[in-house]
Amino acid sequence: MADRQELRDEELASLCQQGERQCFEILVRRYMEKAFHIAFNFTRDVETAKDLSQDAFLRAFANIKQFDGRSTFYTWFYRIVVNLCLDHARRHNRVAWESLDGAGEEAGEQKQWADSRFLPEEEAIAGEAKRRADRTLESMPNKQRTAFLLRNHQGLSIADIAKVMKTTEGTVRVYLHRAVAALRQSLMEFV
Amino acid sequence: MERAVLQNACKNFEEDLVLYYYGECDATEQRRVSEHLTQCGSCRGFLDDLRRWLPQIAQAEPMTPAFWDNYYRETVSKIERREEREPWWRSWFAPRPMWMVPAFGTVGVMLLVVGLLFGKGNLTYFMQRPAANIPQEVLADEDQLQFFESMDLLESLNRLEKQDDSNGEKTNPQSSRALGRQETV
Repeated sequence: MADRQELRDEELASLCQQGERQCFEILVRRYMEKAFHIAFNFTRDVETAKDLSQDAFLRAFANIKQFDGRSTFYTWFYRIVVNLCLDHARRHNRVAWESLDGAGEEAGEQKQWADSRFLPEEEAIAGEAKRRADRTLESMPNKQRTAFLLRNHQGLSIADIAKVMKTTEGTVRVYLHRAVAALRQSLMEFV
Repeated sequence: MERAVLQNACKNFEEDLVLYYYGECDATEQRRVSEHLTQCGSCRGFLDDLRRWLPQIAQAEPMTPAFWDNYYRETVSKIERREEREPWWRSWFAPRPMWMVPAFGTVGVMLLVVGLLFGKGNLTYFMQRPAANIPQEVLADEDQLQFFESMDLLESLNRLEKQDDSNGEKTNPQSSRALGRQETV
């Protein structure tokens, strides 16, 4: 088992296709944080994000034989996660933006935005900026939001985002620029 | 207190600056943007603001190790339950690799061709079965069928005779009247 930890995603996926479930458990360990954070970025709710990301793992496991190795495992898996999140967003038609620690929206934001780069008096401004950014992300078209979250939050390259979204790199660049422009607009001036 | 969060950039550099920030420019674009940044203070300010704010928006929410342990255990247990529930025949309907479609198609066509070539003329075996192979019940039914067919034939003959008689009366009414007279005399 220990040497399997060293295997690449695609090799583990191939072993899963041959019925070795333990290999899939290694993939779960590798991607659970990313999957959860994508889902959380879309839903802003811990329980929903947990359910959606776990559902993504179940679907990936059930359809592992469909993975043909033409793309990397993580682009294939990210696509499942993103599709589930978008389906969820469509069904619920809105996103509940709540703080993670459950201690209230205000306190959560203050905590998240309290950073060494901000002076204490700037924390209130940072909290307001975060609220605006969240609201802008919420109202953003799904494709722009997906491109932005995958690049800015997950660090995927534009080429990989294009594969996940099944579109061209040029289109992803446009989505990304529009998303940043919308965020910039919302953060432009505030009290 | 009012402050500008992000500065404006030159319009024709804005998109490139976003890509430059994410490291997604090719070498030519990167050189062009870098050269512009040395000359343009507002674009430098725009880029500094991106560097300052975008990582903050992306900040991952910290979860405890206990949360992740629980998450992992739950996920694995859900996978195990799903695997147990999955019926054995489902694998037959699982999607196959793309190469299997033409492969199975070719095998199917070849079997059809072989069947037609070597099975030619042997269809008579199915068409003309010897009577010995037919069960007695069926043969008895066949006799009854012949009987009913002959009855039908007799009925048809009667009907034809009646029709002939009626036709004869219509074509020669005088002879029938004369015949009637003879009977009365």
